[in-house]
Amino acid sequence: MILYHGKIYDNSEQNRIISKLKEDLYHSIQYKKPINRDEVIEACDSLAKKVLDGKFDDIVKPFLKTFSISYERFLTMAMMFSREGLSYKCKIELSDEEKIIADRFVRKIYPLGILLHIAAGNVDGLPAYSVVEGLLSGNINILKLPSGDTGLSIRLLSELIKINPALADYIYVFDIPSVEFETIKSLAKLSDAIVVWGGDEAVCAIKSMADITTKVISWGHKLSFAYAVTEATDEDLKGLAKHICETNQVLCSSCQGIFLDTSSKEEQIIFAKRFFEILKQVNKELGLADYGMRAQNAIRLYTEKLENHLTANTIFMEDGVSVVCSDDNILSLSYMFRNVWVKRLAHEDIIPVLKPYKNHLQTVGILCPDLNKRKSLIEKFALAGLVRITEASEMSRFIPGEAHDGLYPLREYSRIVEIPIY
Amino acid sequence: MNVGDYMKSVKKLFKIKKNEIYNLASTDELFIKAMKENAVFQYENCIDYKRILDEVAFSPYKITTMEDLIRLPFLPTLYFKRHKMFSVSEKKLLIKATSSGTSGLKSEIGFDFFSLINGLNMVINVTRFHHLLSLKPVNYLIFGYEPTSENKTAISKTAFGFTFFAPALSRSYAIRKTKEGYKLDLEHMKEALIKFSKSKTPIRTIGFPAYTYFLLKKMKDEGIFLKMPKGSMVTLGGGWKQFYTQKVDKEDFYKLVEEVLGIKEDYIIEFFGAVEHPILYTDCREHHFHIPAYSRIIIRHPDTFEPVADGMPGIINLLTPMVRSVPLLSIMTDDIGIIHNEKCPCGEPSPWLEIIGRVGIKDIITCAAGAEKFLKEQE
Repeated sequence: MILYHGKIYDNSEQNRIISKLKEDLYHSIQYKKPINRDEVIEACDSLAKKVLDGKFDDIVKPFLKTFSISYERFLTMAMMFSREGLSYKCKIELSDEEKIIADRFVRKIYPLGILLHIAAGNVDGLPAYSVVEGLLSGNINILKLPSGDTGLSIRLLSELIKINPALADYIYVFDIPSVEFETIKSLAKLSDAIVVWGGDEAVCAIKSMADITTKVISWGHKLSFAYAVTEATDEDLKGLAKHICETNQVLCSSCQGIFLDTSSKEEQIIFAKRFFEILKQVNKELGLADYGMRAQNAIRLYTEKLENHLTANTIFMEDGVSVVCSDDNILSLSYMFRNVWVKRLAHEDIIPVLKPYKNHLQTVGILCPDLNKRKSLIEKFALAGLVRITEASEMSRFIPGEAHDGLYPLREYSRIVEIPIY
Repeated sequence: MNVGDYMKSVKKLFKIKKNEIYNLASTDELFIKAMKENAVFQYENCIDYKRILDEVAFSPYKITTMEDLIRLPFLPTLYFKRHKMFSVSEKKLLIKATSSGTSGLKSEIGFDFFSLINGLNMVINVTRFHHLLSLKPVNYLIFGYEPTSENKTAISKTAFGFTFFAPALSRSYAIRKTKEGYKLDLEHMKEALIKFSKSKTPIRTIGFPAYTYFLLKKMKDEGIFLKMPKGSMVTLGGGWKQFYTQKVDKEDFYKLVEEVLGIKEDYIIEFFGAVEHPILYTDCREHHFHIPAYSRIIIRHPDTFEPVADGMPGIINLLTPMVRSVPLLSIMTDDIGIIHNEKCPCGEPSPWLEIIGRVGIKDIITCAAGAEKFLKEQE
């Protein structure tokens, strides 16, 4: 399906539409009034209300099931589209829109112009939200749907246009098969920036494809973890276990494992066993993870046990949850779906061990009851490159005004124009 | 003691009479003995296998019941993808095969003369039983890889092997070797089908069901309806693995075959097997994969690995004593399935296996990942 000037067209119309797209886009920039941010916010607020009223449940619920995301969490995400949420976001990200500099000129914030959003098929990159961010910063948005898209994005965006038809000239959606490389490249050439969501390989591919005059803004995959001292409280560990079970470790901000502030293997194993018992309990309370994922992880963990003579890992597993203790301090992806690693990382080694991960680092959840020590850890993680430092239970919180991977998207989608004072 | 003495029951099992192929009760005792012989051989000849059994204090010398076989440590296919395990010298491996590697990693398995003879005896028995052997020449259409000297994928070898069930007048391949590597060429297959429909020689199609389906659907869309010569057969193998999302209802597929090729359901036969478990499973006229005497199947619960009751889903664990060169006695697959023990109208007494999916969740394909893949192809 294609969304073009607010109307839905069949994919067979793709070439015809794309051939005159440049004309359409340039026409909007040249002759139309720039999009009004308040109108975008109002339209999004009406849409959010409809979503919260369950108007899209027929398509939302299967989507959430595919990604093992709870309905409650989705409602929190929908709240991000509310008037309060979006106004606050704009206020934080685009403050001082107009400012006189050195009494010589005025600094104004303008949109980049045309954004091509290459969306990923996961919750972190909800394609409609990416477009909304583009609209808030005043851009024209072309969305290339991920293959296997369930139709949710087009439903949400056409509803948005229905609420405010003025948005029709700012939202274009295409369902181009990924093999139609040249078509994607031609859209990229039209755009001021490509907003790409996905893993390292996807980001690299887009970067190598983009024209030199096109900016590439990547929201790539990130890794998050928890950092605990041996005296971490049961309450903190429960909060972390709950976060792990609720997100199933599939989000960029989900905890993949725990680094323990120790050099002692004995302490590491005692701690892992303690956390395993808590994780098992929380898992029981919240209901088991997806059957297919449990089966996959059971086989992986069994294989890991067969390889134990080579790795010397200590493995605690039951009911589809596991805690694996290893001797390395590599920040790695876990098996996910309630399976974590516990590794040793003494606090003095935080910066040398984590710094090399640079742009892959995202959230650290800290479990440390002593306030002074906690403050010193926070400073170390900030210097090491982490961009979100939270309490253990809050690692995947959604709060309007939060930065995205250490950046403000609305700023990324804008540019500063300096003009004379008259 | 020489190897031949150890393996008497294994040889006997793979030479059982045609009428015993689907009789598990009458072959249970022989199967257990054969498994014991092979387990002892593996234990004494494969250091890694011995370690795995020793770690859980399992003695292969004490195998006497099916319960012992349930306790015999199984090896996941994943383990073979990470570790080479040979129980005979690599020089003795006459054929090396790799799995088709849908997840990127590939198992490398080798077969020695003893294992191949067992396999051959099984294939002759099974194909005779299902009336697949014929002296009448046929034109083969293979929906799989064209074999080359460097292509070790088991499916291409198996597909090539199948072309000896009846003399081959010609062989056409859907995945052909070109200068730029392998390319899927369904147009070539379509032309071959049109050509052969005008001849008197029957055709046999072999290989990936998904490709067969795509081609037939395309032909239907293009309004091409043929009547293949009498005695033509559609045989399917190689799994639907990469195509779960497009997995079609089998009934719809049978209808499509009859509509586009004029071949009736009775002449559609599906095979199932794996590199790590090279047993030939052939569906009955009800399209059920009955368990042959050469293997046993345990369905295990993912949380405990305990066997589940018949009719309940779980991970598929496949057992066979066929292979001597690699410890393939008890293999844990990545597939989820159900064993049906209710009476089958085809009359065969053994239970049948239904494969319902794979472990894990569906791959979430992003367009960007697709772009990256396509870029690599462009390089």
